[in-house]
Amino acid sequence: MLHRMMRVDHAGEYGANRIYAGQMAVLGRTQISPLIQEMWDQEKQHLRKFNEILAENRVRPTLLLPLWNIAGFALGAGSALLGKEGAMACTVAVEESISEHYNSQIRTLMEKDPEKYTELLQLIKEFRDDEMEHHDQLIIEILVFALPFYVLLTHDPSLLQVPGYQLMKAIIQVGCKAAIYISERL
Amino acid sequence: LCCGYWDMAALIRGLRAGRVLRGLGSVAVQGTLSPQGSNVRRAFHRTILLQLVNDSKSDTSVPPPSYHEVHTAGESSSSSAHGESSEDAQPNTSFQDQSGEHGEDYETEEQLQARILTTALEFVPQHGWTVEAIAAGAETLGLSSASTGMFNNGAGDLVLHFVTQCNAQLAETLAEQNNKVQLGQAESKKTAEFLRDAVETRLRMLIPYIDTWPQAMSILLLPHSIPDSLKHLSTMVDDIWYYAGDRSTDVNWYTRRAALTGIYNTTELVMVQDSSPDFEETWAFLDNRIKDVVNMANTAKEVQATGESMVQGLMGAAITLKNITGMNQRR
Repeated sequence: MLHRMMRVDHAGEYGANRIYAGQMAVLGRTQISPLIQEMWDQEKQHLRKFNEILAENRVRPTLLLPLWNIAGFALGAGSALLGKEGAMACTVAVEESISEHYNSQIRTLMEKDPEKYTELLQLIKEFRDDEMEHHDQLIIEILVFALPFYVLLTHDPSLLQVPGYQLMKAIIQVGCKAAIYISERL
Repeated sequence: LCCGYWDMAALIRGLRAGRVLRGLGSVAVQGTLSPQGSNVRRAFHRTILLQLVNDSKSDTSVPPPSYHEVHTAGESSSSSAHGESSEDAQPNTSFQDQSGEHGEDYETEEQLQARILTTALEFVPQHGWTVEAIAAGAETLGLSSASTGMFNNGAGDLVLHFVTQCNAQLAETLAEQNNKVQLGQAESKKTAEFLRDAVETRLRMLIPYIDTWPQAMSILLLPHSIPDSLKHLSTMVDDIWYYAGDRSTDVNWYTRRAALTGIYNTTELVMVQDSSPDFEETWAFLDNRIKDVVNMANTAKEVQATGESMVQGLMGAAITLKNITGMNQRR
């Protein structure tokens, strides 16, 4: 069970890295690039930590890493081609999925044996907080700076009111769930 | 069949966990094996594994939960609940046998089986990898030859036991060497040399049984034994690479292990038909295969480096072009 969790988390951070790489490839010369770069650096740090953990615990990495390499980059680049709002919306959806995934892992570990897994729990909580921070930062970025007129019109500070966002979010969340399921096993 | 011996509470719990079906299957097999002599009282030992009631999805290999009921004929009954150790073991769900006896100096069924199989190895040169060898081993220990009924896979169990023993020995040797290097008492070897020595060490363990080893290899390839034999092979290869210093977490993890598996298997095949003194030809073959793999790895690195520099050159040319045509402005 622990090995599965570590494997899927490693795959997740790897994919997140590639998503940001894709976004930077398209939007690297725009105003939004410092923000994306900063978030990318944090993900790189997460990935380094998981590489260490995998090596220490002799966990097998998922066989599909090359696939996540390409898929992540494609998702990042594709969403960035929709403009910086598209990139940010994609990141928001992905971060939400990842946070939910980390939360469920935290719940599982707490149910099993909180004392035994304190270190791992601490790590996952820290990473989850980082991902939530990205998520919140970008929501504000989108609603306040990119699409303020939506908020002014509808007085509803939810991203779901933006046309197309619900569809994108649904696709991304289903994709993330499938990726998590496969990476745990394969 | 043997419903009377089953703990009904355990059965209900097992049903809730949904895994009793596997146990039923193996008990059905047990029940149909009839002892040969009427003076043989079949040993029944209740072994309830913690994984039955534990929802953990452990990656460590879990043998199928089986309701074996064994009380040894003429020996004191060992009836402790035996839990497979796993990182997810929860003590509060372990079952105690009805008779309440804990295993103090009593043997568990697994230990008894291991003892029989280890003794049976002495008879392999005589009987081959067969149930006869196991029977001879059992008789040497003072048990009836019908205790071969304990082994569902017969010869397969014997071969797998031997393989497990060899792998454990190898892991111990590698760990010791690693310790010495950590303490500075020994030099660390280069990867190629390390792999070569590890494979040679492991293959030398086959030398006492080399005449009958082709039979063992074919037994390991039977559909029944393939999952276990593959698992042992992959664990062994993983151990060797780990002690060789591999800490990769990408595709290299897979390519390295695949390469070493290929090297090991082909060298094993060469060994069983090698008649040179002290298997010199086998070790020479091993040397060459490892050289091949190292060469391939180096070539791959060179190709990658060349590719990267080519890409950089092309990017440079593209940027120059963009500059010339004035397309390279900041948005």
